[in-house]
Amino acid sequence: MQNRFSKKLKIAIYDFTDCEGCEVKLVSIKERLVHLADRFNIVNWRLGQEKIKDGPYAAAIIEGTPVTQDEIDLLRELREKSKLIISLGACASIAGIPGIMNKSERKKWYAKIYGANYKPKGIDALPLSAYVKVNHMIHGCPVDEDELVRTLEELLSGKTPRYRRYSVCLECKLAGNQCRLLHKKICFGPITQGGCKAICISGGSPCYGCFGVREEANIPALVKILRRFASEKEINNHVTMFFNQIPEYKNVFKQALKNYKK
Amino acid sequence: MPQKPNLIMERAKEYIAKIEGHGSLTINWEKGLVKLNVLEGERLFEGILVGKTLEEMHWITPRICGVCPIAHNLASLASSEAALGIKISNQTKLLRRLMQIGQNVQSHILHAVFLALPDYIGIDRITELNQKDPKKFAMALALKEIGDEIAYVVAGRNVHPTQTTVGGFHKIPNEKELRNLQDKIKRNIPKARALLQIFKSLNYPRLKVDLELLTQQNGKVISNKRAKFKISDYKKNIEEEVRNGSTAKFGAYKGGEYMVGSMARLYHGPHQKIALQSGLDFQNPFHNNLAQIMETVFELEDGIKIIEELLRNKLNNLIAKPSKNPPLRGVGAVEAPRGGLYHEVRINKNGVITYANIITPTVQNLTSMETSATTLLKQYPNASQKELKHLIEMLIRAYDPCITCSVH
Repeated sequence: MQNRFSKKLKIAIYDFTDCEGCEVKLVSIKERLVHLADRFNIVNWRLGQEKIKDGPYAAAIIEGTPVTQDEIDLLRELREKSKLIISLGACASIAGIPGIMNKSERKKWYAKIYGANYKPKGIDALPLSAYVKVNHMIHGCPVDEDELVRTLEELLSGKTPRYRRYSVCLECKLAGNQCRLLHKKICFGPITQGGCKAICISGGSPCYGCFGVREEANIPALVKILRRFASEKEINNHVTMFFNQIPEYKNVFKQALKNYKK
Repeated sequence: MPQKPNLIMERAKEYIAKIEGHGSLTINWEKGLVKLNVLEGERLFEGILVGKTLEEMHWITPRICGVCPIAHNLASLASSEAALGIKISNQTKLLRRLMQIGQNVQSHILHAVFLALPDYIGIDRITELNQKDPKKFAMALALKEIGDEIAYVVAGRNVHPTQTTVGGFHKIPNEKELRNLQDKIKRNIPKARALLQIFKSLNYPRLKVDLELLTQQNGKVISNKRAKFKISDYKKNIEEEVRNGSTAKFGAYKGGEYMVGSMARLYHGPHQKIALQSGLDFQNPFHNNLAQIMETVFELEDGIKIIEELLRNKLNNLIAKPSKNPPLRGVGAVEAPRGGLYHEVRINKNGVITYANIITPTVQNLTSMETSATTLLKQYPNASQKELKHLIEMLIRAYDPCITCSVH
């Protein structure tokens, strides 16, 4: 990242198993994409082009969950050949929706969906960080356009992108929403990193924390508030939407629920 | 010492570029057969849904596909509402149709312009069009944006809706927002027409396939070749073949392959005559790209009418309630950008999902893609292998496969 104004940075864009919605977001940054494309040398973006270049890469931006052995092997190779690994979206960062499926349950569902004779390709739905070191995570299901541009521009200028230091609550208040907790609705906004502009809550949907748990978040305090109106089962179900494969979040919830006394 | 494989280069060469998801081709040159391999990982959505609630279903299923999330959202809502015996209001129907229009425009522009057009104008990626012809590029972006805008106003976001709920909407746009949206659509129609002129002038490879075209219409699935069937009987009629080595199933209508999507909708819809007059050939799958842009124009025109109808009555956000004795099982079907999409759900008395089934448009198109590719080999006896491979990749792209959807 030293030669910040000289050469174009070679960036590889990859997608593993996922919905590709974050790539659609990448396309929808429109004019800004053109401007960025001029400054990056984007290669290996299968969805957008045929141009293929081998590493080394200044960065590999990876969307999706590495579900198959082939994807896991490819991820390891990308790690070896890239200065930075940047996860794009919830699937790559925290296993996202595919992560709802537990490894122990996969066999049963392969048989039900594909039949008994099917030879599965998938192993488990885990985030990139389960296999390699990830330098920065662009969170969200899907990612937010402005966050995407901010991260790419910081990369371009040689900075290490930083995470938002505030929770979704700040942006939710700015959006003028009524607090879901006051309406006895489960909300992970207080423990979740900002950057999403509270878009789900503004639309009337719950916040499941797809932007990841913010540093210094007080999960036990949130659990205490939630338990006033929600059952343990309901809270656990909410946790599994995005945090099912992230033991460090899941275990704190588990412990807090266990410790909760009315 | 054996050389370490270079997966980056191997996979990049293997996968078909500019389609949604991971697929590759196996061409048997001696026998003249083409096989499509679907290599995307399985996410097992039908399993993910079991144990979740209906209010989570339409929130989870859009994540099957970021290119057509609204279609999955709408299909899940419809199946949930059928299971709960909910009758939605006319206003909800109109707003959802508007979402569908936004979805079709977004997806068609993304596919036909961003993924397919580069083949026809000799560039690798669409951003190169900005240097070559900035006016055309700006036009394409404006049309993608109007699709996104409709989705933002009605669904809450361009990818993965936030404003919908079982029975209606958490939040609906106000009169002013709808009026502004209508004006914006009006301003974009000339651009869509100009884009259609470009797509009419493209040099599509010749190909003649006796395509069977299926589309949903008034609760039934109709065909240009065989008897229609009720949407509720979808499972009896749409068969899915499991193939080892493919993570997607291959669909057929009682043993025969068929095509769904823009071409089928135009064939069976009110605009068939105009489409024929404009040179659309319903026996050439390459023309699916032309059909998509044609449909974009018709969809935007419909959007104006739908907003007009919405504004005729006072907007009122009421969420329809479940019936007293709901059937606890329901099928929801919607015409997604790529064709008929089916969601089925069963719940227990506590509202928890016990069964889910999803059949996507691409599953239905996969078999037809192979047949058309094999036909192409026969109809180009003098072409080189390199030319044929390129033509087949173009053909697969013309079908606009959504591999991520097909595996789910």
